[in-house]
Amino acid sequence: MKLGLALKLLWRDWRSGELTLLLVSLLIAVGTVTTITLFVDRLQQALLAESATFLAADRVISSNQPIDPQILIEARSRGLGQAETLTFLSMVFSSERAQFAAVKAVSNTYPLRGELITSDKPFEFGEIVTSGPPPGEIWLESRLLPSLDVRPGDVLDLGVASFVVSKALIKEPDKGGGFSNTGPRVLMNLRDVPSTEVVQPGSRLTYRYLFSGNKEALDDFQAWAKPRLEDNVRMFGVKEGTEGIGNALDRAERFLLLGGLLGVILAGVAIALSAQRYSLRHYDHVAILKTLGATPNGIDSLFITIFVLLGLFGTMLGSGVGYVAQIGISAALQPFIPVELPAPGMRPIWLGLTTGFVCLLSFALPPLLQLRSTEPIRVIRRDIDVSSGTNRLAQLIGVIGTIGLMWWYSEDLELTLMIFSGGVVALVVLSGIAFLLLKSGRVLGMQAGSVWRLALAGMQRRGQENTLQILVFGLAIMLLLILFLVRTALIADWQAQIPVDAPNHFAMNISPEDVEPINKLLVDNGIRSQPLYPMISGRISKVNGEVAKEREEREEREVQTDDDEDRGPRATSNRNLTYAGEIPDDNDITSGQWWAADYAGPALVSLEQDLAVRNGLKVGDALEFTIQGRQLDAEVASIRSVAWDNMQPNFYIIFSPAALEDFPSTFMTSFHLERQNKIFLNGLLREFPTMTVIEVDAIIEQIKTIIAQVTMAIELVLALILISGALVLLASIQASMDERFKQHAILRTLGAGRRLVMGSLVIEFCVLGLFAGVLAAIGAEITVYGLEEQIFQLDYEPNPMLWLLGPVIGAVLIGLIGTIATLKVVRTPPTIVLRGLN
Amino acid sequence: MIKTIDLGKTVQTSEGQLTILKGIDIEIKKSEAVAIVGASGSGKTTLLSLIAGLDTPSCGQIFLADQELTAMDEEQRAKARGEFVGFVFQTFQLLASLTAIENVMLPAELKGDPEAEAKAKELLVRVGLDHRMHHYPRQLSGGEQQRVALARAFASSAKILFADEPTGNLDTKTGATIIDLLFELNREFGTTLVLVTHDLRLAARCDRSILIDSGVITSEPSKGSDASVLES
Repeated sequence: MKLGLALKLLWRDWRSGELTLLLVSLLIAVGTVTTITLFVDRLQQALLAESATFLAADRVISSNQPIDPQILIEARSRGLGQAETLTFLSMVFSSERAQFAAVKAVSNTYPLRGELITSDKPFEFGEIVTSGPPPGEIWLESRLLPSLDVRPGDVLDLGVASFVVSKALIKEPDKGGGFSNTGPRVLMNLRDVPSTEVVQPGSRLTYRYLFSGNKEALDDFQAWAKPRLEDNVRMFGVKEGTEGIGNALDRAERFLLLGGLLGVILAGVAIALSAQRYSLRHYDHVAILKTLGATPNGIDSLFITIFVLLGLFGTMLGSGVGYVAQIGISAALQPFIPVELPAPGMRPIWLGLTTGFVCLLSFALPPLLQLRSTEPIRVIRRDIDVSSGTNRLAQLIGVIGTIGLMWWYSEDLELTLMIFSGGVVALVVLSGIAFLLLKSGRVLGMQAGSVWRLALAGMQRRGQENTLQILVFGLAIMLLLILFLVRTALIADWQAQIPVDAPNHFAMNISPEDVEPINKLLVDNGIRSQPLYPMISGRISKVNGEVAKEREEREEREVQTDDDEDRGPRATSNRNLTYAGEIPDDNDITSGQWWAADYAGPALVSLEQDLAVRNGLKVGDALEFTIQGRQLDAEVASIRSVAWDNMQPNFYIIFSPAALEDFPSTFMTSFHLERQNKIFLNGLLREFPTMTVIEVDAIIEQIKTIIAQVTMAIELVLALILISGALVLLASIQASMDERFKQHAILRTLGAGRRLVMGSLVIEFCVLGLFAGVLAAIGAEITVYGLEEQIFQLDYEPNPMLWLLGPVIGAVLIGLIGTIATLKVVRTPPTIVLRGLN
Repeated sequence: MIKTIDLGKTVQTSEGQLTILKGIDIEIKKSEAVAIVGASGSGKTTLLSLIAGLDTPSCGQIFLADQELTAMDEEQRAKARGEFVGFVFQTFQLLASLTAIENVMLPAELKGDPEAEAKAKELLVRVGLDHRMHHYPRQLSGGEQQRVALARAFASSAKILFADEPTGNLDTKTGATIIDLLFELNREFGTTLVLVTHDLRLAARCDRSILIDSGVITSEPSKGSDASVLES
C-alpha cells in the first residue's frame, strides 16, 4: 500500500477528528509514563544519594582489623572515591573530668557522601563542613563539652596525646547504632591515632573503608572484592547497611514500579479502547476500499503504516510533554521535597518512547488488524458483523507486548506472570459476575418506572459491550483502589514502626541499687520509659541432657547451608537473659503458654521463635543454662515472636520471675528524650557514671526523613496514576458514544423528552459504575491481600471500607464523568444524528 | 464477460436454513447492459454482490472476465475487483474524510497509478463537477455525491460496472440526470453494465432484464417486456 495514501488518510482522519481520542490517549499515556519514569528515576537517584549520606559513602567495607591493602589499590585504580574511619571506645580527660567516649578517627577525604555540621557553641546549628578535623584537633559531640567542662580552644587528653578541642560536632552523616557508637562522639584525624597509643593488640576496633562512585563501577568493584574478603568482613551499600532505611527504600521502589506498571496497563487500556473505536468507525471505510480493490494484506499494511506514523508522532510528542511536565512538577515540588533532585538522564526518555510504541502496538494492533476481516458486502448491508477469528496473531502480539512491558517495569518475571495469569482468571470470573449483575439489573428494571426500565433495558440489550465496559471501569477503579490501599498500608506500617514517642535512648548496665533512683529521676523529669529489665549474661549448655555444643555440631552436619546468618541465632552463644512476670509489648506467643505474673514454681523459659526454629527447640524441652559459672535447669514453656524493630528492649530468652533472683544482674530500659532535653543525659550520666546510654535518636530521625521523602514520592505517583485512570474512564465512555447517539436519537424522534433520555443516561452510568465498583472491590481485596503478603511483607488486614467505597466511588465517578461526557448526546438534534447514520 | 452456473446462497438463521438464491444460471456478454429486477427481498442485491465478488456463494460457480471468482480467496477477489470492476451504490459510499477528487483518485491510487490525479480531474470535469473537486462529501448534494461516485467507478478503467439502485436516494429529476450520465459514460468507456433496480423505466433502458423472484430467475424477458412481467 502506498505511503502517500496512508499519509493522506492519516491527515484526513486527523482533520476529521477520528484520531483525536486515540492520539490524546497515546499522548497522555506516553506523557504519564514518561513523567512517572523520569520523576521516579530522579527521585530514586536522589533518595539513594541522600541515603548514601547515612553511610557517608555508597559502599562500605567494615572489619575489626585492617583489610588487604590490595583491595584499596584496586578501588583507586577503578577510579572510586575512598575514605577510611577507625572507631573505638576510649576515655577522654579534661583537666577536671573524664568521660567514656566513642572515638572516630577519620581520613581527610571523609565523608564521601553527606556532610558534617559543626559549631563553636554546643547544641547550636553552626556551619556545614565537608571534611573532619585537621591533625592535632578534635571535635566533641555537644553534650561532651558541658560534661567535661570544656570550651572550644581547651585541651583534652586522649591516650597519651593531647588535642585542641576546636569545634562542637552537631551532626555526622554515618552515626548509626552499634556497639562502638554507644558513647558520645569524639571525632579526630586518622593520622593522630598512632600518637595516642590507645590502639593496642586486642583493642576492640572497627575499621570502615568507604567508597564512592557510579553504580556500575561500584557493582563491578564489589563483585571483584567480595570473594577476596575474609569471612568476618562485611561489604554493604545503602540498602544492606541500614536495615530500617533499606526496607523503606525497597518497598518504596517496589511501589513506584508497581505504580509505573499499573500506569502502563491503564494507558494501554485507554489506547485499546480508542483503537477499538477507531476500528469500529472504519469498518465502512475498509469495505469501500475493498470494493475498490484493496486486498486484506493491503488493508493491514495501510493501517499499520497509519499507526506507525501516528505512533512516531504521538510518542515523541508525548515524551516531550512528559519531559516538560516532570520539570514542572519537580520545580513546583522542589520546596516540599527535602532532597536535591539530580538532572534527569536520557534513559527514561527512551523508556517512555519504547513504552509508548510497544503500548500502541500491543494494545492497538488487535482491534486494528480486525479491519482486514471487514466484508466488502458491508457497502450494501451495514449490519454484517466483522468476524474476530482472524486476529489471533494480533492478540498474541498484544499478550507478548503486555507481559513484556510488565516484566520490564516490575523487573520480576515471576511477579509479572503471577499478575498476568491472575488478571486473566479474574477477567473471566469477573465477566461472568458482570453479566449476572446486568441480568439482575434487567429483572429489577422490569418492575421499575419508565426511566429505569429504559436505562436497564438498554444496558441489557448491549450486554456484551456493557460487560466489557463494566470490566474496564472495574479494572480502572480496582487499580486505583489497590494503589491507594497499598500506599495507605505502607505508610501506616512505616509510621507504626516508628511512632512519634518511640524510645530513642537505651540505658544499660544499671546496677540494682540504682534502679529505683533512676526510675525516680526519669519520672521526675517527665520522661516516659519502658519497665526496667534485669540483664544477666548466660548461655544454653545442655538440651534435653545432651551437651548443647555437640548437639549443635551434629545438627549443622545434617543441615548444610552456605549462609549461616540466614538460619537464625545460635543457641550456644552468650546471650542477655532476663526475667519478667508480664509478656513484653509487641511479643506474641506462637506456641505454649506465658506463665502467671506471680508464678513462683520451677524455672520456666520463653524462647524467641527464630532461636527456637534454628536450634530445633520446642515447648517442653529441658534446658540447662550456664550463668556466671553456675548451672540452672529450666523447661521451655513458650515460643514467642518479637517485633525487633520496635525500639524497645527485646530478649531472645526470658525466664519466669523467680528463676534468676539468685543471680546478680544489671538492668536496662529505654526511654524517649526530645532533642532539646538531651542535656538531661549529662546529669544522668554524672549521677550514675557506671551506666551506659545508647543514643539511637539520630538514626530514628534519619529513618523518619527517608520515610517522609518516600511517602511524598508515592503520593505523587498515585496522583499521576489517577490521571491515567480518569483517561481510561473517558476513553471507555467515548467508545460507547456512537451507539448511544443512535439509540437516543431514535428515542427522541419517537417523542421521548430530554429529561427521559438524560435520566436514563444518568441511571445507566450510575448502575454501570455501581456494578464496576462491586467488581473493583472484589478484585482489589484479593489483589491487595496477595501484594501485601507476598510483595510488601506487610500484615494483611481486610478492608471493610472497600466494599462501601468501591461501589460508591464507581457509581458517583462513572455517573458524573458519563453524564458530562454524554451531554452532547442530549444536546445534538436527532435529525443530525440520524442523517449521520447514513 | 460474466457467467454463473447453478449459483446458490443460503444462510443460517435461528429458525433454520434460509435459501436466498437458488440455481442461478446467467451469462452477460461484453459491453452489454443488463438490469436485475425484482421486488424487495427477492435476492437481486445478493446476486449482484455475488457476481461482483463482494460476497461468496454457498454453491455454484461464477466467472468474471474469464476468471473463476469462486476459486479465489479474498486477497485474489480484491485484486480482481480492483482490476475489472467499478461500483455505484444507492448510498454513494464515498469516504467522508476525503474530498471529491481524492475519492475519485482512490481506485487508481490503490493500483499505484501515477496518473491518478490527472485522470480523476478529467473525470470530474466530465461529470460536471470541476468546481467541486475539493469539497468533502458532506458539502455536496445527493446528486453531486452520486456523480463523484460515477467518476470514481470509471476512474479504475473497469471492464464491468455494477450499479445497485443508483437513483434510490435521489429525486426523480436528479435521478434521471444521473442515469443519463451513467449510460453516456458506459457507452463512452464500452463497459459491461449490471444494474440492480426496481425502477422499471430504468430497467427498460438496458439491453435486457433478468427477473428474480424468491431467489430464482422466473424469466429472462427481452427488452421492453419487463413491465408486463412485474405487473402480472
